[in-house]
Amino acid sequence: MASKERDIDPVIEVYKKDLDLTLIRENLKLSVEERFLKAQELARFAEEMRRAGRQACHPES
Amino acid sequence: MTDFAAMLGALVRHDVAFIVVDGAAAIAHGSVRLTSDLDIVYQRTSPNLDSLVAALVDHQPYLRGAPPGLPFKWDKTTLLRGINFTLISSLGDIDLLGEIPGGGTYEELLPGAMELSVFGMRCRCLSLAQLIRAKRAAGRPRDLEVLAELESIQEEEKS
Repeated sequence: MASKERDIDPVIEVYKKDLDLTLIRENLKLSVEERFLKAQELARFAEEMRRAGRQACHPES
Repeated sequence: MTDFAAMLGALVRHDVAFIVVDGAAAIAHGSVRLTSDLDIVYQRTSPNLDSLVAALVDHQPYLRGAPPGLPFKWDKTTLLRGINFTLISSLGDIDLLGEIPGGGTYEELLPGAMELSVFGMRCRCLSLAQLIRAKRAAGRPRDLEVLAELESIQEEEKS
């Protein structure tokens, strides 16, 4: 079972090439709580950008 | 937007037996991907269903995506009639899962789960190995990128 987990999936290996490992490494330096708080901040930012985008595309609404 | 701290707090305060899975578990392990909900596998014992009902009852849980006005009642009978529930609440979105592919039920996941100390409380979360196993078992195309990230985190931690 454990060896199966380590099986290399060529498709996943292709996806790994596009990962920004620097972002992952920075996240691994944070505590679990800091990771959650950062995720919430990002979600807040994403929501604000979506709102701003909607407003820019449909200023009258 | 889901308030992870408040949602976890409600569950922990009511002694709900649960394990954090999916996106929030990935965040705990260092994922940089965004998730908009809290997914948990909950224990399906009678006392735990009571605790789960009590934990969310003050937060207006309702079926996510369902039209308003459905006769949805948040109680133990409703929980007994289903297994998985995708809910919206005043604390945000929460998915209650009776079991997950590649992992099984709460009891099956518990021995391998890890304890998180977060927001001043303790709760259980899938280990990285369990999370990878579950994602592989789910086998959804959208999970491929997630799997690549989780495996990279595992490699980073080993290096």
